[in-house]
Amino acid sequence: MPDSISPTGTPNPKMTARNVSVYYGDKKAIDNVSIDVDRDNVTAFIGPSGCGKSTFLRTLNRMNDTIPSARVEGDIKLDGEDIYSSAMDVVQLRARVGMVFQKPNPFPKSIYDNVAYGPKIHGLAEGKVELDTIVERSLKRAGLWEEVKDRLTDSGTALSGGQQQRLCIARAIAVDPEVILMDEPCSALDPIATAKIEELIHELRGRYAIVIVTHNMQQAARVSQRTAFFHLGNLVEYGQTTDIFTNPRETRTKDYITGRYG
Amino acid sequence: MNSPDALDAAVDRTPTDWNAPDMQARIRRRYASERRFKYVGLSAVAASAAFLAFLLIVMIGNGIGGFTQTRIALPVDFETAPISVDPDLLRSGSGEAALANADFQGLVEYAATAAYGPGANQYFSDGAWVLVRRQIAANPDLLLGKTVFDLPAASDIDIANKSEGSAEAERAVKLLDSRHALSKSLNVAFLTGGDATDPALAGIWGALKGSLLTMLVTLVLAFPVGVLASLYLEEYAARNRLTDIIEVSINNLAAVPSIIFGLLALAVFINLFGMPTSSPLVGGVTLALMTMPVIVIAGRNAIKSVPPSIRDAALGVGASRVQVVFHHVLPLALPGILTGTIIGMARALGETAPLLLIGMRAFIADPPGGITDPSTVLPMQIFLWSDEVDKGFVEKTSAAIIVLLVVLLSMNAFAVYLRNRFEKRW
Repeated sequence: MPDSISPTGTPNPKMTARNVSVYYGDKKAIDNVSIDVDRDNVTAFIGPSGCGKSTFLRTLNRMNDTIPSARVEGDIKLDGEDIYSSAMDVVQLRARVGMVFQKPNPFPKSIYDNVAYGPKIHGLAEGKVELDTIVERSLKRAGLWEEVKDRLTDSGTALSGGQQQRLCIARAIAVDPEVILMDEPCSALDPIATAKIEELIHELRGRYAIVIVTHNMQQAARVSQRTAFFHLGNLVEYGQTTDIFTNPRETRTKDYITGRYG
Repeated sequence: MNSPDALDAAVDRTPTDWNAPDMQARIRRRYASERRFKYVGLSAVAASAAFLAFLLIVMIGNGIGGFTQTRIALPVDFETAPISVDPDLLRSGSGEAALANADFQGLVEYAATAAYGPGANQYFSDGAWVLVRRQIAANPDLLLGKTVFDLPAASDIDIANKSEGSAEAERAVKLLDSRHALSKSLNVAFLTGGDATDPALAGIWGALKGSLLTMLVTLVLAFPVGVLASLYLEEYAARNRLTDIIEVSINNLAAVPSIIFGLLALAVFINLFGMPTSSPLVGGVTLALMTMPVIVIAGRNAIKSVPPSIRDAALGVGASRVQVVFHHVLPLALPGILTGTIIGMARALGETAPLLLIGMRAFIADPPGGITDPSTVLPMQIFLWSDEVDKGFVEKTSAAIIVLLVVLLSMNAFAVYLRNRFEKRW
């Protein structure tokens, strides 16, 4: 990693990654990446397809564990706790570091059950009334409450794509996570639904540490305060979003954000 | 060279004439080939429908008679009959011995001769006198005067009455018919009785109950084992040489000829473990061995078809692997697993060969009381009856086939119902 990149982009990081490499079998997908995820800001990961930004995102809540050939080296800490240590319970980790996926993937259950599922399995609600409260609060925070409050028993899969994605965000919020990871959450949505999700990210900022992977550079510029540019498994540049987009230090970054390649 | 002029020349060719004769011919050929394909497909469907219709029509035509029975009215005048049982003794409840000693066979012979001439007792089923005794035991007042008993006809009379019989039987039918003594009724004994040597008395219930008990044992063993095995192999097992070998072994197990399972059951379950011969228990365990790989294969396919995004979604909110499997994967895979299970069960229901070897081809007159009682099963009963010399068993065989097909069709209908019911949740 070039010295010009300061991994400590923030004085008070929520998550810290140091010298992280990820392998799929023999293939190295992420090469020695160090980065901090800020507590109060939105961090965007940008870069061309196949640069490893999604892979890196999935190491932050150990979703890569489900891929048998994946191997992670280096340190990743959540509030100073090593998330790959044997003392860390992966189920709890994923409740603390929630995830929203590229394609909206609601459960084929009712809207209510989609949101209530996480709190139920973690025993976060005592009784039906409290569960109702959690569901309502989560749907409100995800900006979906007004649209679905009269049809909570309808199937989550019957909603439109944008609504489904906000339902997935509500589902992630419902377990009260500390960090929300979003893997290209708008790539399957139309511009109007995308605008709603972006607005939502603004509102959620500060309450949750948010990391978003995106192909869309305008989106990164709009929603994030920090931007990390990945290329071929390397972290090329990490800094304030305004700096990255107006005054990149690296030529590769400059070429990418000006549309020279990628 | 790619000079602009050369490119223009290439582009500037004569415009395609979509109405030219060769274009029209091409369109006609395309339509003709579509029509040909449609007719070939239609005739394939029609052929298979015709086979099915042929099977059903022939079976129903042959077998429907098995559900009815010719009965002959036998008037008995107890004033003159050579039998002496005191009705008071029967009423007092101690007539068992009196009934056992009384010669009811002689009574039937006497009454038949009196009513229809010498040799007429041959018209009646061999077991007819048992019915007379049963009716008298139930109602001793019959002994006090003249009574007409409605008794099952012997199988040759039954055949002659329903269709073509031997010349002798046809003469008897003509005689009986002229006296208005013949009637036809639903053969209740066929649906409620066990096997018998006399076709007029043979019933399917023993075999049907044996089949149901065997299927129950098979289901209870094969379904949980099959589902858990497929879940483990798909969701937990690492992909390595060992799981490859297990997968190949399961596929091979599904293809092993069924008779080999019968030999295995004979050697292991009966000879080694001493489980009861001819019992639905051993039959069910044997068929479970055959059905389990079918369920595993169907289950794995159903589990594979659950989209990975659902697993990601559940893991993403912090579900454990067991929770992912039982809350999300299994409910979504269940319709497919159930369909596979029913297919496997239907195959097991029609299986005969392995059951031959564990002794389920014995003649068993009483319906089994439980899974350890000796019993037979529907396909085995069909096999046994088709082997009988007595012509009366021909229609019994077809009737048993109808019963087997009805059970199969209801199982399939149940599978369709279950699939539709569970798929609504998607």
